Amino acid sequence: MARIPISINQLTECCGRLTAWATLAMMICTGLIVVARYILGSGSIALQESIIYLHAFSFMLGTAFTLKRGAHVRVDIFYRHFSARTRAMVDTFGALFFLLPTCAVIFWLSFDYVASSWAIAETSSESSGLPWVYLLKTLLLLMPSLLLLQGMAELTQAISILRRMPTVSATPTE
Amino acid sequence: MIELLPLLMFLAVCLVILLGYPVAFSLAGTALIFAAFGSAIGHFDMAFLEALPNRLYGTMVNQTLIAIPLFIMMGIMLEKSKLAEDLLNNMAQLFGRVRGGLGISVVVVGMLLAASTGIVGATVVTMGLMSLPTMLKRGYDPAFASGIICATGTLGQIIPPSIALVLLGDILSTAYAQAQLDMGIFTPKTVSVGDLFMGAVIPGLLLVVFYCSYILIHSYLKPESAPARREEKPVSAAALLFSLLPPVLLMVAVLGSILSGVATPTEAAGVGALGAIFLALSRRQLSRQRMREVLEGTVEVTAMVFMILIGAAIFSLVFRGFGGEELVTSMFTSIPGGAIGATLVVMLTIFLLGFILDFIEITFVVVPIVGPTLLAMGVDPIWLGIMIAVNLQTSFLTPPFGFALFYLRGVAPKEVLTSDIYRGVFPFIGIQLGLLILLSLWPSLATWLPEQLR
Repeated sequence: MARIPISINQLTECCGRLTAWATLAMMICTGLIVVARYILGSGSIALQESIIYLHAFSFMLGTAFTLKRGAHVRVDIFYRHFSARTRAMVDTFGALFFLLPTCAVIFWLSFDYVASSWAIAETSSESSGLPWVYLLKTLLLLMPSLLLLQGMAELTQAISILRRMPTVSATPTE
Repeated sequence: MIELLPLLMFLAVCLVILLGYPVAFSLAGTALIFAAFGSAIGHFDMAFLEALPNRLYGTMVNQTLIAIPLFIMMGIMLEKSKLAEDLLNNMAQLFGRVRGGLGISVVVVGMLLAASTGIVGATVVTMGLMSLPTMLKRGYDPAFASGIICATGTLGQIIPPSIALVLLGDILSTAYAQAQLDMGIFTPKTVSVGDLFMGAVIPGLLLVVFYCSYILIHSYLKPESAPARREEKPVSAAALLFSLLPPVLLMVAVLGSILSGVATPTEAAGVGALGAIFLALSRRQLSRQRMREVLEGTVEVTAMVFMILIGAAIFSLVFRGFGGEELVTSMFTSIPGGAIGATLVVMLTIFLLGFILDFIEITFVVVPIVGPTLLAMGVDPIWLGIMIAVNLQTSFLTPPFGFALFYLRGVAPKEVLTSDIYRGVFPFIGIQLGLLILLSLWPSLATWLPEQLR
């Protein structure tokens, strides 16, 4: 059981690395578009759309990675002065009441939306665009799933801190 | 009582956020709890939430927002390639012999490099780590030094191409279209990110000039607070040119191509990021490891921004489901003084919210709620955007809650007292308020340039 959070962390890191390179690919494609438009005088809708795909891919799949790295912005006016135990309590409370329900709701609301896109194998509205709109929309299910998994890993970690420091008096304040 | 529920939800979110759980999830989670409660007592229709997937998909395919990760990449790359440090050293050596010269160098370097990141925390931390120790070592008064750094750190909000303006431009363009549609105008005028960039040029430069004048006057009146260095080795013109020219050229190219209408912000951001990589390569500061750091940093900041956007989307759907928009409109129309009174109230609210929320949250949560109503009352969208940006900048500087102060406190050495930081920023708050007053009296400071370049 104890190994599950570790594998989740590995999965999230792996996604993070993928999305990092996707941002680089995005920049290169943008460069290509500029060259094509201003030097060769032509544009490519497929190239334009692939930037959109890369962008959506990077921030939708990068959000679990950002959670793992602790880079989602907090208002830490008080949080920074809390003891490790109090912080773990805030994180447990937040994961249970905010993070996990939000993931569940996004998944649940998006399911039919994505399913109906798959049913018709939805393609771009532009004739020369990319034919994978249904895959793009699937990110709406992947994002909450990955975030939910990473959220549970974070929750386990916060709870284990609470277990290790059972009483407030035993906690040294900073 | 029930019709005040949206306001109650707003207050609840403000309180919940202070707990310190990530803002994006606090926003979404609190809204969902209210939605569940509202639907249980029959005052909320869950059907309002069904618009969510389409909204999120709209964010995924939004062309304007693609500029965000590219600008972030450019900013992080410039920061990690140690370009700013070299620039600061060279400028400090050149101007170090003038009283207050180091202070002015900090403002100029901050202006050039803060612009691309536009996230207050990152800029203040970088500038604080880079320049505060040097300033203290040279005998600068800690209050004066920390004031300069905090104020410079917030410049990134207003100096284009800041990502704050990209986000604000995107939200305002939607709000402007909606406002005109509500008024029955079916061939609406538009406002773009480029317009907002142009509008920000004059106010931004004015701020830099005001900051520098204040530094010069202060160091002239109190020479002991900003000593000049006599024994400074003269820096060679070539070394200065080599460190100053590339970043300036990059900024000018990025901004120039957007302002002249040659390139879209997204294209300019892409080329800017590419340029930053070449700069780092030419300075031999780019290893595989550093590239990875830059790219992962880009993902972290981008995903953070977009997660707040997603959280705010959920929040605003629930807010609308509770009839919040009608509530805001009826409140605005009951404020005496019409558009001016309403703008004043909104500005005051945003100033106070700036104590607990960052630029991104305010742009995504508050502007979509108040924007359409204000714009329908005849407020100019570019002027409104610039006012919000300068206003928030002021808010971030104001003790005791200003963000910039917290971030500087985090990286400042112990001998700099918190009271020093507070004392140091007051003159800069005065400058900010002065600019806000100037902008209110002469809105053309913001709107003139966009009209000329259109």
